[in-house]
Amino acid sequence: LLWKESWELSKNPMATKGSPLHGPRIKLIEKSQHLFAETKEYVFESKAAEEHAKLLRMQHELEVTTKQAIFVDSSISDTIRTCIVLGNHRAAAKVKTEFKVSEKRWYWLKVFALATIRDWDALEKF
Amino acid sequence: MAQVPNLDNAPINLKSLRDQSLKELITILKNIRGKKCLVIDPKLGGSLSLIVQSSLLKEHGAELRHLNAEPVQTDCTKVVYLVRAQLELMKFICSHIHNDISKGIQREYFVYFVPRRAVVCEKILEEEKVHHLLTIGEYPLYLIPLDEDVLSFELDVAHKEYLVDGDTTSLWHIAKALHKLEFSFGVIPNVRAKGKASVRVADILNRMQLEEPVNTSEMGVPEINTIILLDREVDMITPMCSQLTYEGLLDEFLGINNGAVELDASIMGVQQEGKKIKVPLNSSDKLFKEIRDQNFEVVVQVLRQKATSMKQDYSEMQTTTQTVSELKDFVKKLNSLPEMTRHINLAQHLTTFTSKPSFLGRLDMEQTLVEAESYDICFEYIEEMIHKQEPLINVLRLLVLFSITNSGLPKKNFDYLRRELLHSYGFEHIATLNNLEKSGLLKKQETKSNWITIKRALQLIVEDIDTANPNDISYVFSGYAPLSIRLVQHAIRSGWRPIEEILKLLPGPHSDIKRGGFSSSPSLDTLNGSLHGSDKVVDGRRSLVLVVFIGGVTSAEISALRFLSGQEGMAYDIIVATTNIINGSTLTETFVEKLG
Repeated sequence: LLWKESWELSKNPMATKGSPLHGPRIKLIEKSQHLFAETKEYVFESKAAEEHAKLLRMQHELEVTTKQAIFVDSSISDTIRTCIVLGNHRAAAKVKTEFKVSEKRWYWLKVFALATIRDWDALEKF
Repeated sequence: MAQVPNLDNAPINLKSLRDQSLKELITILKNIRGKKCLVIDPKLGGSLSLIVQSSLLKEHGAELRHLNAEPVQTDCTKVVYLVRAQLELMKFICSHIHNDISKGIQREYFVYFVPRRAVVCEKILEEEKVHHLLTIGEYPLYLIPLDEDVLSFELDVAHKEYLVDGDTTSLWHIAKALHKLEFSFGVIPNVRAKGKASVRVADILNRMQLEEPVNTSEMGVPEINTIILLDREVDMITPMCSQLTYEGLLDEFLGINNGAVELDASIMGVQQEGKKIKVPLNSSDKLFKEIRDQNFEVVVQVLRQKATSMKQDYSEMQTTTQTVSELKDFVKKLNSLPEMTRHINLAQHLTTFTSKPSFLGRLDMEQTLVEAESYDICFEYIEEMIHKQEPLINVLRLLVLFSITNSGLPKKNFDYLRRELLHSYGFEHIATLNNLEKSGLLKKQETKSNWITIKRALQLIVEDIDTANPNDISYVFSGYAPLSIRLVQHAIRSGWRPIEEILKLLPGPHSDIKRGGFSSSPSLDTLNGSLHGSDKVVDGRRSLVLVVFIGGVTSAEISALRFLSGQEGMAYDIIVATTNIINGSTLTETFVEKLG
C-alpha cells in the first residue's frame, strides 16, 4: 500500500515538471497507469493516467499541425476551447469524441469559445 | 493608525505577553553588537509587524531585509536570520553564504529559529558545510495577540500537515504555547476537547504540566477558567460557507493579513495611480470595533445613519450660534471622520462584490447545500460550475460542503465529478483530489448521512432571523448557526455530557478533564464541570473561557463568539486562540497541491 502511494506522488511531479520534450513523460505516466491498475482500489487513478497520456499525445500532434506551442499542459476543456477559437472545429470535435465529453460540457465550451472570438453568426446558428 | 493593535481593553493581560516577546527580540538584537542586517522570513515579517514597529528595530541598529533566493545586499558584517524551521529557507541561507564565500566577503552569521530549532534544518546546514560558520539560537515566539480577544499560533498549514501528511509537530507547538500561557495566568482547571488533534493537545498539555509544573499555590486563582479545544475537522461546514459579517466579507473578498487589508489606493479615495495601501483593521479603530461583527446588511445601514447624522450636525453648525461646549462636541465628532470615510470606502468597495448575481447565487446554493434536502439541484449546480470552468477554489468549496453534508457522494457521482474536474482543470489536480480524499473532505459515500440529525439536534438552521437585532449566533451567516460555535455554546453552558450522542456523530474523540489544584486524575465523568455561578471570580471581573481552534477559525466564528460573550446572563468572557485566521478559500488552497 505504501509504495502505491509513493508511486502516485512520483507520477505527479514528473508529470508537471513539464518539459516540451515529453516523450519520456508520457512513458512515465503510462507506467504509473499500469501500477495503478495492479490493484482494484485505484481504477479511477489508472483511468486518469491513461487519459492524461492520451491527451498529451494529442496536444503534441496539435502543436505540430498548428505550429503553436499553446496546447501542452492545458486541460481537455481548454484544448477544446483553443481549437474552436482557432477555427479548427474538426480537431475540437475529435478531442470531444476521443474523451467522451458530455454534450452539456461541450455546449458550454463552444458558447464560451465562440463568444471569445465574437463569432456571433456561428453562435446564432448553433 | 498603527498596525500594532491596542490591547488595553483585553480581558487578560495580553499586553504583558506581547511585551515579553518584544523584549526577547530586542535582547537578541542587543547581544549582537554593532550594526547588523536582520533578514526576516517573509511569513514571520507579517507576524512581527503585530509585535514591533520597524522603526524600533532600526533604533537597535538593524537593517531589515526579507529572506528570499536573492543574495543579501548589505554593508553590514553581521547578518542575522530570523526564520521558521523550514527546509527551503535553509537552502536560501546556504546559498547566501556560498555566494558570500565565492565573492570573498567575510561575515558573521546568526540564525534564530522561530519558535525552536529543528534537527532536520541543522542537518541541511551541516551538509552544505556552513553549519560551523553559524551561531544558532532560538526565538521562542509561540503565540501572538492579533487583537484584544484573539491570539494566533501562526501555524498556517498545520491543518493540512496534520490531516494529510500526519505531521504532529504543530500539536506540540500548540500545547507548548498553552503551557506558556499557564505560566503567566495560572493552571487552567477545566479542559474540554473535541477531535483527534485536540485530545492529543490536551494530553500533551497535561504531560508538560507534570514534567515542568506551574506552581499553583503562588498564582492564586487562575485567570482562565476553562479551555475548549476544537479541531477544525469537526466542523468543516462553517468555513466553506461565505461569511456575511463585515470583517468576514472583507476577508473573503480582499484578504485580511495580520490584521490589515491591502488594496488599491484609488478605492480609499487617494489619488495615486496603481499604488497599494495597507488599511489596518483591529479594535483600536472604534468604529470598526462596533461594526466588524455585524451582518454586512446592517453595516451599510449603520454607516448611512452615521453619515446623515453628521451632515445634520454640520448644517446646524452653520445656522445657529453655539456655546463653547457644543463646539467642543462637534469637533469631537469630526475626529471620527477619518474612520467614517475609511469604512464607507471599504463598504462601498465590498458592495461591488456582494451585489453580483453570481455571489447571490452562490449564497443560495450554500444554503441549499447546508439544508441538505435537495440533492439533485446541488449536484447539477456543481456540475455546471465545473463545465463553465469557474475558479477551482470556488468549485472545491461547494464540493466539500456537498460531500460532508451527504457523508460522501455515491460512487457513481463521485467518480463522475472527479473526472469532469480533471477534464476541465487538468490532470495535475489529481494530487489535490487525493489530498481532499485523505483528509475526508471529499469522499465516497459509505454510510448514510447523519448531517440532518446533527443539524436538527443543534438547531443549526434558524428561520426568521433579525440581522439588525440578532438573538442568536446564526445571524453571522444569515440563517445558519456555525456548528463549531454551537458546540462551544453547549460546552460552556453544560459541558459535553448532555450532547454526547451528537458528539459521537462528529469526527474524532472528545475528552473532559479537570486538573490543577482540584484533582489531577483525568476523568470523563466530571459532570460538576458545568460552569454555573459557583466559580465566578470575586473581584468583579468575569472569568474567562479560552476557545482554541486547531486548524484555523473564520472571522465570522469569532464574531459569533463575541456575540455570545456579550449576551445577557453570560458569566464569561471569551478569548480565542487559533492556529491562524482562515476563510474557505485560504483553507481550501492549503489542500491544492502545487507541483513543479
